[in-house]
Amino acid sequence: MRILPKHLLQAWVERLRVDHRVVAPRESHGQYIFDEITSADELVLDYHSSVLPPKKYFLPPREDLFTFNAKTMEMSPVIEEIQPTVIMALHTCDLHAIQLLDRIQGTGHVDQHYQARRRKTTLVSIECMEPCMAQAFCKSLGTLSVPEQFDVHLTDLGDRYAVDVGSDAGEALIRGMGFFWKPSDADYDRFNEVMAGKWPNFDYRLDCDVTDLPNLLGASHDSALWDEIGERCLSCGQCTKVCPTCYCFDVVDEIDLKLEKGKRVRVWDSCLLEKFAVVAGGHDFRNSRANRLRHRFMRKGKYQLEAYGLLGCVGCGRCALSCPAHITPIATLNTLNERRQASPGESA
Amino acid sequence: MKPKVAFFEFTSCEGCQLTVLDTLQRHPELLEVIEIVQFREAMSERGEDYQIAFIEGSCTRPSDEAKIREIREQAQIVVALGACAHLGGINAIRNRMPLEQTREYVYGDKKDWFETYPARPLSAVIEVDAVIPGCPIDRKEFATAVTHLLQGRKPAIPDYPLCIDCKLTENVCMFLRGQTCLGPVTRAGCEAICPAQGQGCEGCRGLIPSPNMHSIKQALREHGMTEDQIAAKLSLFLTYQTMQLEGVTPA
Amino acid sequence: MTTLLRETLDHSSIYMPTPARIVAVEQFTELEKWFHLELPSGFTIAHQPGQFVEVSVLGIGEAPISICSSPARSNGAFELCVRRVGKLTEALHRLEPGSMIGVRGPFGHGFPIDRFQGKDIVFVAGGLGLAPLRSLITEVLDERGKYGRVALLYGARTPKDFLFPDDLKSWAERGDIECHVTVDRPTDGWDGNVGVITTLLPKIDFPARNTIATVVGPPVMYKFVLQDLLAKGVAEGNIWLSFERQMKCGVGKCGHCQMHHIYTCQTGPVLSYAEVKDLEEALS
Repeated sequence: MRILPKHLLQAWVERLRVDHRVVAPRESHGQYIFDEITSADELVLDYHSSVLPPKKYFLPPREDLFTFNAKTMEMSPVIEEIQPTVIMALHTCDLHAIQLLDRIQGTGHVDQHYQARRRKTTLVSIECMEPCMAQAFCKSLGTLSVPEQFDVHLTDLGDRYAVDVGSDAGEALIRGMGFFWKPSDADYDRFNEVMAGKWPNFDYRLDCDVTDLPNLLGASHDSALWDEIGERCLSCGQCTKVCPTCYCFDVVDEIDLKLEKGKRVRVWDSCLLEKFAVVAGGHDFRNSRANRLRHRFMRKGKYQLEAYGLLGCVGCGRCALSCPAHITPIATLNTLNERRQASPGESA
Repeated sequence: MKPKVAFFEFTSCEGCQLTVLDTLQRHPELLEVIEIVQFREAMSERGEDYQIAFIEGSCTRPSDEAKIREIREQAQIVVALGACAHLGGINAIRNRMPLEQTREYVYGDKKDWFETYPARPLSAVIEVDAVIPGCPIDRKEFATAVTHLLQGRKPAIPDYPLCIDCKLTENVCMFLRGQTCLGPVTRAGCEAICPAQGQGCEGCRGLIPSPNMHSIKQALREHGMTEDQIAAKLSLFLTYQTMQLEGVTPA
Repeated sequence: MTTLLRETLDHSSIYMPTPARIVAVEQFTELEKWFHLELPSGFTIAHQPGQFVEVSVLGIGEAPISICSSPARSNGAFELCVRRVGKLTEALHRLEPGSMIGVRGPFGHGFPIDRFQGKDIVFVAGGLGLAPLRSLITEVLDERGKYGRVALLYGARTPKDFLFPDDLKSWAERGDIECHVTVDRPTDGWDGNVGVITTLLPKIDFPARNTIATVVGPPVMYKFVLQDLLAKGVAEGNIWLSFERQMKCGVGKCGHCQMHHIYTCQTGPVLSYAEVKDLEEALS
């Protein structure tokens, strides 16, 4: 652990800006958006959540995969060599999400486009002291503390930050900078006090244990609840766009009017959308809003865990905040749990 | 051989054709790949041997139908240009009111001088091959549609809701800003320009294929709209489509 | 040195195709064409029967298509049987010999042919399902001695919809593969079987315990064929099905083909009934 006095935070960030693009939350219409800062005094560490999660820096909403000439068949990959980037003030839920994305994009066929951006990015996270918004349920999902993989993590001790380093990339942001002190015994005491004091500020909002989610969802395939919330679902797909672990995409070609030069582009897609599972012959493998919602929930609470060893939900609450029909993970999962308890052995 | 293209208009403000003109100025290369043989807004010649017809405007009187059918006969591809041709557009607001009342309101004692009937989209009169939605149309979408036609395929337009465009550009949701929006049931493809400018979506690109009308009405209600206000919101561009969904025929 | 087509994914971008030339095109039916393709020199495809490639027409897009030729006969060339059903396949159908397309792959897991040795094999094909199975059938017939009895059950909508007519003829003539075909709707002059594909199953009297069944066809077909195969006593692990899903990427990233925790494009498209029977979405 190291100590960063708060009055040196801006100096540190200004120093980072010399050789990095520094990205941090910025206020927009009462919400926050991760964006590049052009001066350290724009830095905001205290924010509730961001509209889009930081995944947009590794998997942009629209991304060129390669350019081509359709006449000559020349093709050239677009692997963006981004400027070294520091993302500031990530909540730990978002770190957990990035850990899952890293695993997915690095499993089997490694996605070079993701890797190129991810490699150049260092993450500075902050310890959450209070629930960032009513929709968050990080404590229930075990994402209220840093995951195994992190770079630099800050804990607010009042007039100073405790700084933990979890990687070489993180160390590179700290070493030789001069802003960081060695912690005293009093700093450790204060750190322990702060860490012990924060947990009661968060509630367990999920009525079952997180390890029980795959079972709960596994038994829910025929639940009437999917139809009930499917009635309300608008299939607008917002929940997937704002989800820090959603990564599904569509691929489209763009070409000039002379039908010569073009590019292949990938665009974020959503399993909630009507055409997501339709094959060319017209057969729809998920032909109702209820089926599609169920698939999304299964993915978050069961499938991703089975496929990648990490849960697909980190409890950030963005989907609950953004749903115009108020479909929330907590209400959905707790209702499934309630119905399971009311009629054990039967489908919730 | 460059395909021959003609533009036509029926009941409309001709704003979509103005947008086409603007697109032609921004992308002069369009004229290297298509040959425009008829375009009243831009030229006086009137070639009749076109393969592709872009039609702006809704059909608002029985006598329009013959002309529309004639275009259909001649053209291999008919594209509805803009909200009026696509949806009946603003002209269809009157469809929920008794026609006589509307005529009197608009034309007073000269109402019998003017022929009219409930406004309808082109697709109610002829088979339409493709649609370029919007009020007005989007320049980029027009150029893309031409590209698709040159590739020998029907222009593809998004079939998902505007919320997707909105989130891809990271707009803060209008509902979270305390405003109302038809984005969740409206076809995307405009890059969410209205929400990006702080204005909720009015639905000019029409409804998505399976809109959850019950749920969008509930969301509007929760954001302070009365039933009348909701009906008005859904009438600006969506009268024809919502009446169809309800199975209501024009008065 | 020969480069395997899938090795091209490792450098640059996993999404970038390799150019391939259309050397011949044959019209099978109104909707289906047979494409003979050639990779650049030094490339070969090395696929398993049942695997697929992502086919690109640059400027239009990409779609997954099963390889219908035999791996053993590949040598830098391969074949696809393509039904015209979407924007990509429409564009593909317009291409003439000499045109260039892009290909990536082969992807996923095909039929585990090593496990079929010494077994009796029933190929059950519905419609376009014959395309991936033809790859397997050719492979099996090329090494006919390794297998027990072999039968093909093939159903098409009408007599005009049969694919690979030359193969069907030569298979029927060779005598070491039992061939039964049926049509949903007969046309004038048809004196063969009429009815869904399950009506052909009773014609096969292989001992169920030693039988492998490979099933490829439209989604509606699976439930009924499975019912009958299981009723015959064919083991769940010996029934192999190929799953069609929307596959945008082929590399387990785009999410479209997911059924439960499985990415069909990677773990599938060929899976045994034993692997999928508890996956509610797989056969619903």
